[in-house]
Amino acid sequence: MEKSNTQKVQSPVGESKPRIDAFEKVCGAALYADDIQFGNKLLHARIKRSPYPHASIKKIDTSRARALPGVKAIVTGEDFPGFIGLYLKDRHFFCRDRVRYVGDPVAGVAAISEEIAEKAVDLIEVEYEVLEPVLDPEYGASPQAPLIHPDLHKYVVANFIFPQPGSNISNHFKMRKGNVETVWKNCKAIIERKYCIPHIQHVPIEPHVAIAKVDESGEVTLWDSSQSPFAQRDLIAETLGITQSKMRVIAPLVGGGFGSKAGVSMESLAVAIATKVKGYPVKLRLTREEEFYTAFVRQGLVAYFKMGCDESGKILAMENTFYWDGGAYTEYGVNITRAAGYSCTGPYEVPNVKADSYCVYTNHPVGGPMRGFGMPELHAGLEQCIDELALKMGMDTVEFRHRNCLKEGSILPTGGKMHPTGLSECLEKTAEAIDWGKKALSSAPNKRRGKGIALMWKAPAMPGNAGSSALVELAEDGMLTLGVGCQDIGQGAFTVAAQMAAATFGVPYESVRLATPVDTRYSPYEWQTVASRITWSTGNAIIKAAQDARKQVLDLIAEAWNENPEDLDIVNGNVVSYKSEREIHVKDFAVKGLPKPDGKGWMGGPIIGRGSFMPTDVTGLDAETGQGEHAVVHFTTGAQAVDLEVDLNTGKVEILKAVAAFDVGKAINPDLVKAQMEGGLVQGISSALFECLQLKDGYVQNPSFVDYRIATSADIPRSMQTIIVEVPQEDGPWGARGIGEHSMVPTIPAIANAIYDAIGIRFEGPPFTAEKIYLAMLEAGIIKE
Amino acid sequence: MAFHEIVVTVNRNREQLAVPSNMTLMRMLREVLALTGTKNGCSAGECGACTVLMNGEPVNSCMVLAAECDGAEIITVEGLAGDKQLDPIQDAIIQAGGVQCGFCTPGVLISSRALLNRNPDPSEDEIKEALVGNLCRCTGYARIIEAVKEAAKIEKEKV
Amino acid sequence: MVTNTHPTLPEFDLIRPVTLAEASEFLSQHTSNARPFLGGTDIFVRMRDGYIKPQFLVDIKHLDGTNEMNFDPQKGLVIGAAVSMNRVIYSQDVGENYPLLVEACRSVASYQLRSRATIVGNICNASPAGDTIGACMALNGMLHIHGLQGSRLEPVDGFFLGPGKTTLKAGDIVTGISFPLPPQGCAGTYLKLGRNKLGDLSLVGVTVLGNNDTRKQSEFHFRIILTSVAPIPLRAKDAETYLSTHEVNYETIRQAACIASEMSTPIDDVRGSARYRKSMVKYLTETAITAVWKKLQK
Repeated sequence: MEKSNTQKVQSPVGESKPRIDAFEKVCGAALYADDIQFGNKLLHARIKRSPYPHASIKKIDTSRARALPGVKAIVTGEDFPGFIGLYLKDRHFFCRDRVRYVGDPVAGVAAISEEIAEKAVDLIEVEYEVLEPVLDPEYGASPQAPLIHPDLHKYVVANFIFPQPGSNISNHFKMRKGNVETVWKNCKAIIERKYCIPHIQHVPIEPHVAIAKVDESGEVTLWDSSQSPFAQRDLIAETLGITQSKMRVIAPLVGGGFGSKAGVSMESLAVAIATKVKGYPVKLRLTREEEFYTAFVRQGLVAYFKMGCDESGKILAMENTFYWDGGAYTEYGVNITRAAGYSCTGPYEVPNVKADSYCVYTNHPVGGPMRGFGMPELHAGLEQCIDELALKMGMDTVEFRHRNCLKEGSILPTGGKMHPTGLSECLEKTAEAIDWGKKALSSAPNKRRGKGIALMWKAPAMPGNAGSSALVELAEDGMLTLGVGCQDIGQGAFTVAAQMAAATFGVPYESVRLATPVDTRYSPYEWQTVASRITWSTGNAIIKAAQDARKQVLDLIAEAWNENPEDLDIVNGNVVSYKSEREIHVKDFAVKGLPKPDGKGWMGGPIIGRGSFMPTDVTGLDAETGQGEHAVVHFTTGAQAVDLEVDLNTGKVEILKAVAAFDVGKAINPDLVKAQMEGGLVQGISSALFECLQLKDGYVQNPSFVDYRIATSADIPRSMQTIIVEVPQEDGPWGARGIGEHSMVPTIPAIANAIYDAIGIRFEGPPFTAEKIYLAMLEAGIIKE
Repeated sequence: MAFHEIVVTVNRNREQLAVPSNMTLMRMLREVLALTGTKNGCSAGECGACTVLMNGEPVNSCMVLAAECDGAEIITVEGLAGDKQLDPIQDAIIQAGGVQCGFCTPGVLISSRALLNRNPDPSEDEIKEALVGNLCRCTGYARIIEAVKEAAKIEKEKV
Repeated sequence: MVTNTHPTLPEFDLIRPVTLAEASEFLSQHTSNARPFLGGTDIFVRMRDGYIKPQFLVDIKHLDGTNEMNFDPQKGLVIGAAVSMNRVIYSQDVGENYPLLVEACRSVASYQLRSRATIVGNICNASPAGDTIGACMALNGMLHIHGLQGSRLEPVDGFFLGPGKTTLKAGDIVTGISFPLPPQGCAGTYLKLGRNKLGDLSLVGVTVLGNNDTRKQSEFHFRIILTSVAPIPLRAKDAETYLSTHEVNYETIRQAACIASEMSTPIDDVRGSARYRKSMVKYLTETAITAVWKKLQK
C-alpha cells in the first residue's frame, strides 16, 4: 500500500474554508422551518392581538369564532396560567387580565387554512378597559407612573436581577466604585450629555415561524426558526407543567436571527394552541408587519453621561444613568440592562464610577436581545462623550483613547483585571487605515467631509454557567459526524465547528459533516446561540469531544500495533506511527473495530467522542456596588472608523470608507470573521442612518419595509476594510473569542463623530437622517435656504 | 372562489394545475409544487426573497398571481443549476463568501442571473442597482457584489 | 396601524375578459366590488393590508393592444397599459426620444418590481408620489380610456382629483398612454429624493422638461411637476410662467424654485416633515431646472 504523507498537514483552523452549508443554500435545498412539509393534517394558526398599548381585559367572547367551519381550536389566557421568561418570569403565553402593548396576544386560533384562521380572529370579541399607557422610560421609572406589572414582586427572577417591587423598574443595576463625588473637582474637563437611542428591529429576512405538535401522550414537538432550541425546551416545558424531556425542539436553518429568535417569543403560542388539537401540527408564521411590532425589538435607551479627566487627559470619573425602554415584558431585557451596567465605562480604565442602569417597563413592543446586547446603544453616546472630552482638552481623539483604553492588567469597572487584549492595536490599525489626522478634501463645494472613530468592548452576557457540549462520531466511510446544539444563524457556526473538529481529530475539513438539524432529542446540549459565545464555548466542547474520539482511536491502534499512543498521530484520516511508520485509515476500524492480533475475537468498537464545556470561574457582582472578581468570561474589543461626506443641500450622508478592526483572539476562519465585520458594519450603518421604529402613543407607525428602511446594496460604503487582530484568549479554542455582535457596536458613534468632524453638529440620537441633519444645519446657520 | 386551469413550465417541467384566484405564484411554488427554495420574506414585493424568473424576467413571485402564469416559463433557484454543474453565479457566491443565513440567497441569485443575462459586463453601480430589490441583513452586500463581478468574468472567459 | 395584518391575499375572483367591451361591461356592472388590475404591485399590497376588498379583479393585460408599444417618428409613442416599466426602459425608441420617461421609470422601486409595474398602473393609482407621473405630465401624455360610451383621450394633466382619486368613471379602462413627439431639442430630468439611495418612495420628486421656444419671452419653456408634496401631482405653473417671462439665469431659476416651493403643500408623515419637503422642493427644482437649462444651451 502506498504510504500517505505523514508530514504535518495544514490545519484547517486558520484557513478560510468555504461554508459547509453554502452548497445547499445556493441550490435552494437548504431547509428552513417554513419549508418543512407536514401534509394535509397541518393546521394554520393566527393570533388575536391587542389593539391598545395598555388595557385590562374585561371579557373575551370566542363563541362566534368557534362556530366558524374549519376552526379547530381557540385558546385564550384562561387556558394557560403559567408564567414564562428567561431571567424574569413576567409573561403568560396569552394575556390573562391585561394587555401591555399593541400586538399583545389575546387569543389564538387554529384552523384548516390561514384564511379561515384569519376570519375566526376577526370574530373573536374582546372587551377592554383602556388604561393609561407608559410611553417613556424616565417617566415610567418615576413614582407617578401607573404600574404595568403590579405583581412584579411575585415574579420568579434570576439571582443577579434586581426588580424594584411597586415600580415599573424590573432591574436596577448599580455600580459604585471609588468616589465619584470627590473627584469631579480634580477634573480639568467635564462633559455631561444626554443621548436617546430609538427602538429598532432586527429585520431577519426570514420572519418567525413555528410549527408545534402535541401527541396523545402529551409529548410536544416544536419545529421553529430558533437560536435557542434548548432554552425553549426548558422554558416552554416548565410553563406547560411538563418535564423537559417531553418537549422536543427541532430547529432547522435560521434565516437570520440577530437575537430576535433567541429565548422564547411567538413559539410558545404555537405550542399552546397545539395542546388543544392533539395529533395535528399547527403552524404559526408572523407576517412582516407582525415581525416589526410583536417580535423582539431592540430596547430604546435614554442615557445620561458625565465624565471628567485630569490635566494629562486621564479619565478620572464617570457617572452614567441609563433608562432602558424595556417594553411590555422584560424577561430577557433585564439582562441587557445588567450587561450595559457592568460595561458602562466602555473599554476604558476609570477609577471612579457611579452607574445606574434601570430596566423600565413601558407599553411599547417587547425589548429583547439584539446583536450587541445593549452595547451599540450605550457606546452610541459614550463614544461621542469621549470624543468631546478629548476635544475639550485640545487632544487628538485617537491619542486620548490610546491613553485611556484598556490594556492587559488594567482595572475593570467591576474590579479584577483585563486579560490580554489587542484593543490598542485595533485602534492604531484603524486610525492608520482611515488616514487619521489627514484632512481629506471634499469631493464638491456642497459637501463637507469628516472622519470619526470609536472603540468598543463587549463580553458574552450570559449566566455564569451557560454550557455547551458536542459529540463526535465516525462512520464506515471515515467521515466524522459532529453533533452540536448550537445553531448556524448565518454567522458560520457550523463551518467553524467542522474546522475545529477536523483540526483536533486529524481529518480534512471536507471529512466532517454536521448532525443537523439541531434536535433537542439527539443533539448535545447548548444553552443558546447568542452572545457571540459559540466559537469560544461550543468550540471548547468540540475540542474535548474530538480529543476524546481521537484518544479512543489512538489507544485502540496502540494496542493493536503494540505501540505507545504518544508515537501515533491522525493525519488526513490516517492513523500513523512516527515510530513504525505503519498507517491505517480510520474507516478501516471506526465502526467495526479490529480483529485481535491473535485472530481470536475483536477489539475496539464504534468510536464516539463526547465533550462538554461550561465556564466555572464567573463570580457574581455585589448588588450595591457592582463589584466582583470575575464578572464575565472575557471581552472582545475593537474599533471602527469612517470617512464620510455630508451633502449641504440635502443633509444626506455618504460613507466613503469604513474600517473595522477587532481582536478576535484567533480567526478560526478569517473569511468568515471578515464577513461578520462587514455585515455588522453595514447593519450598524443602517441603524445609524435609516432605522427607527417610529412609535406614537404606543403604536408602531412604520411596520413594513416601505417605511422601515434598511440599507440596500446601493447604501454600502464605497470601500470597506476589515482588519483581524489576534491576541489570544487564554481559554479560547486556539485562542479564539467571539466576533458576531461586536461588529455593529461602535458604528453609530464612529459615524456621529465623523458627522461632527464634518459639520460641527451632534445629535441627541440616531438615525442621522438627511432631514435631521439638514434641519440642524439650517438652525446652526451652516447653510441657508 | 374561482379556480383556474393553468399549464405552466417550472424549471423545465410542465405542470398542469388548478389554482384559486388569490393564490400567488410564490404560494403555488412553495405550497403546491413544494419548491421551497423560493422564500417568503414580506409578501409585499419589498424584500426580493421570492424572486423568480418569469419568461426570463425576474419578478417578485409574491406579487404575481398563479393564474396569470398560464403558459409562462418559470425558473426558480432550484432550476438555476444544470444537470451536472452549478450556474457560475452559484459558484461565485460560494467562493466570494456571499452567503450567510442563506434566506435572501435564492432571490439574490435569480436577480443576479437576470442581470448577467441582460448585461454580461455590469459595472459595480449597475450591480448595486440590480440588487436593490433584494434585501440582505447578513452580508453587507459587498461579497454578493463581488460574486456577480466574478461570475461575469468567468462567463466572459467561457465565451 | 392595523393590528391584524394578513399573511395572504384575501379571497377574490380573477376575471380574465377576452375583449375590451366585455371587460368594460363587467366593471360597470360591478362598480363597487370590481377593479381592473395590471401589474398588481400596488393593489395586492393594499388588498393584503385590508384597505380595499374587491370581490373581482379584472385582468386587462391581455386585451386588444394593451401589451403593445409603438413609436411612430411622425406621431409619437403609444404605450399599452400592460407594458412593463422595464420594457419601456429597455426600448431603444423610448430611450432615444423620451429619455425622461426612462429616467422616471428607472427610479421606481426595484428591477423585479418594474418587471410587473406599468406606467398606466402608476398613473391610475393616483398616488401623489407616483414616480412616472411627472414625466407623463411633462411629455403631454394622453390616456386612452375605453368606457361604456366608447373610447376617449384624456390628458394626464387634469386626471387626478385627490390621493387615489381620478376622473375615471364606472366601466372605464385605461388601455394605454400616448405621447406626442416631444418638443424639438427638449431636455428633461427627474430628481427624486428618497430616504436611502435607491428603491425608496419619493419624499420629494421634481420633474423638469425644457425646450427652446422663441414664442416665449425668455425663449425657454420649462414644464415643472412636483410629486409627493401635494394631494395630487402638482404642475408648478407659476414657476413655469415666471421662467417664460424672465430671462433665464441662475438668479431667476432660483426664484422659480422658490415659487415652486411656495406652491407645494406637503404634509408631515412617517417619511418626512413638511418643513424638510418644502426646502427640498426648492433645492431639487433649482437643481433640475439648472441641469435642463445647461443641456438646452449645448
